[in-house]
Amino acid sequence: MEDYGNSDDEHQYLDDDEVDIDDNGYSFEAPATENMARASASSMVIPKESLLAAQMGDLLRVMDLLSLKEKHARTLLIHYRWDVEKVFAVLVEEGKDKLFAQAGVTVVENDHQVPLSQCSSTFCCNICCDDVSPQEVTTMDCGHCFCNNCWTEHFIVKINDGQSRRIKCMALKCNVVCDEAKIRCLVSARDSNIADKFERFLLESYIDDNRRVKWCPSVPHCGNAIQVEADELCEVECACGFQFCFSCSSVAHSPCSCLMWELWSKKFEVESLSLNWISSHTKPCPKCCKPIEKNGGCNMVRCKCGITFNWISGLEYSNGYIEVSEKRPEHGKWRLESYYHCHKLYKAHTESFRLEYEMKEDIQDKIKILGEKDTSSKDFGWIKDGLNKLFRARRILSFSYPFAFYMFADDLLKNEMTREEREIKQNFFEDQQQQFETNIERLSLILEENFEKYSEHQLKDFRMRVITQSVTADYLCRNLYEWIETDLLGSLKHSVHKIAPFNSAAVEKASKIPYC
Amino acid sequence: MQASRARLFKEYKEVQREKSADPDIQLVCDDSNIFKWTALIKGPSETPYEGGVFQLAFAVPEQYPLQPPQVRFLTKIFHPNVHFKTGEICLDILKNAWSPAWTLQSVCRAIIALMAHPEPDSPLNCDSGNLLRSGDIRGFQSMARMYTRLAAMPKKG
Repeated sequence: MEDYGNSDDEHQYLDDDEVDIDDNGYSFEAPATENMARASASSMVIPKESLLAAQMGDLLRVMDLLSLKEKHARTLLIHYRWDVEKVFAVLVEEGKDKLFAQAGVTVVENDHQVPLSQCSSTFCCNICCDDVSPQEVTTMDCGHCFCNNCWTEHFIVKINDGQSRRIKCMALKCNVVCDEAKIRCLVSARDSNIADKFERFLLESYIDDNRRVKWCPSVPHCGNAIQVEADELCEVECACGFQFCFSCSSVAHSPCSCLMWELWSKKFEVESLSLNWISSHTKPCPKCCKPIEKNGGCNMVRCKCGITFNWISGLEYSNGYIEVSEKRPEHGKWRLESYYHCHKLYKAHTESFRLEYEMKEDIQDKIKILGEKDTSSKDFGWIKDGLNKLFRARRILSFSYPFAFYMFADDLLKNEMTREEREIKQNFFEDQQQQFETNIERLSLILEENFEKYSEHQLKDFRMRVITQSVTADYLCRNLYEWIETDLLGSLKHSVHKIAPFNSAAVEKASKIPYC
Repeated sequence: MQASRARLFKEYKEVQREKSADPDIQLVCDDSNIFKWTALIKGPSETPYEGGVFQLAFAVPEQYPLQPPQVRFLTKIFHPNVHFKTGEICLDILKNAWSPAWTLQSVCRAIIALMAHPEPDSPLNCDSGNLLRSGDIRGFQSMARMYTRLAAMPKKG
């Protein structure tokens, strides 16, 4: 596959229409590789109710190791974004004192301090300048002492500001984080709503501040959070069924990188309406590619660039209608054309995906009918499997168009390749894409058959075809991914684009968390 | 409920008592409104602001000291963290890093420190920030000095 520049090799892919992949032998190799690929389940769903338990798990680890109280462990973990390994690493590298100081933790040995003001009859609070009795003051772990009223006001301001995870002491340049128990006690005496808010923020910090945990981005929100073990660059499926990219929280979009997808979805939103209009009302000039609207007159249309062409056939007009040579226009014009092309196909495949998804119920009905019939095999898992493979392949195919646009046509990666390199790679990519597409359409066609009426023999044949075709599509999909990962994105020198690794089974379903 | 009034009154007394303690800062309360203050601060030495006297306006909120006072320059100043037109100041302790233990006096001190050590990476005055960021120290200093002379020094003759 390395020498794709070789034109002989290219041919092999160009006339794939007639190549019968089923006979090539490799179609059955795929399941073997599939089993060994990425067996580790690495993500978990945390339902809302188990959030506390999940958080407690991390807290306990730190509390045990450092023999800390819960409040201190929490402060520490919030500072280090709930990365327990990081806490341990800092502990080993820089020592306990530094670890605590950076996070604003002060551990006081004796809990029963004598307030400084016990000796005098009144205490003057430095914040409000009122004299208060010594019973109405609170001393924090850092030793700073102010009146309860001022502390409470301070906490309420901070909580309402959304800063409740790290409320620092009021004293100047004091970096110590206030004791959550004291905050709770003072604030709940004043306003229980705000105390609730404080508790909620502390709990949600486990998600909001945690690199490895994210809320599921489904709308309406399913209430679940997802935790991943190691790699933040992955696509996961929440228990609610929503598939998303963990690193950017938008829908699963591989083989586009997150940046490509962000650019595309913005562009798509802005330009989709005008492009729709352009595609339904205009035709591109065969020479300069500018879109032309015909608002009257005969079919002999003259473009601004000087040529005359036939509106119906799109051919250039000279003495008779002659075909315009297939010269590719310059980069700028070609870019628009190319966006137009990618946009059209992206939309078409997204639409097909929707239609095929609607087929799901249909197929389930058919399976039901089959099940009621007297057949030797009652296991129709292979149909569902084929259908799932079709969904996945279709989705990937549709996202491969925005990918191609940013990879080859847009200015995003302009400096990464020479023009020749780009053309060679693009040709190869488009061949693969086309081959992939052909096979997806075949699979789709097979699955649309009315198999519920088949005889036993026909059913066997049908099963064979579904399995072979879905395996082939899957195999091609894997190839496309590998090629994108290693040859296209892997060879970029100036920018980094990474995509979630391909998982042939499906997007990984997050497993249920073992607590609750 | 007038904790702010009590606190400001105490600060007022403190200022009166220690008038000579910090010769760089002169803090004055409005005669009729204890929530309005003005300050005159001297430009720190060895900076382009040296020799200038800058006027600051304080608007103290009802919730003071739990909320920070609003401070802005009345004297025109060329500084990355001060808005050139409005005099608004970008300083963390006046925003989210505010602590009730700060006083008007200590805020003035913090502003003097900011004048000596600008933060060009969070500029309110982009021209000034860009000069510093591109390493044109001389250009920045001469601009700042020119505006100090124009706006913050007594006119000769």
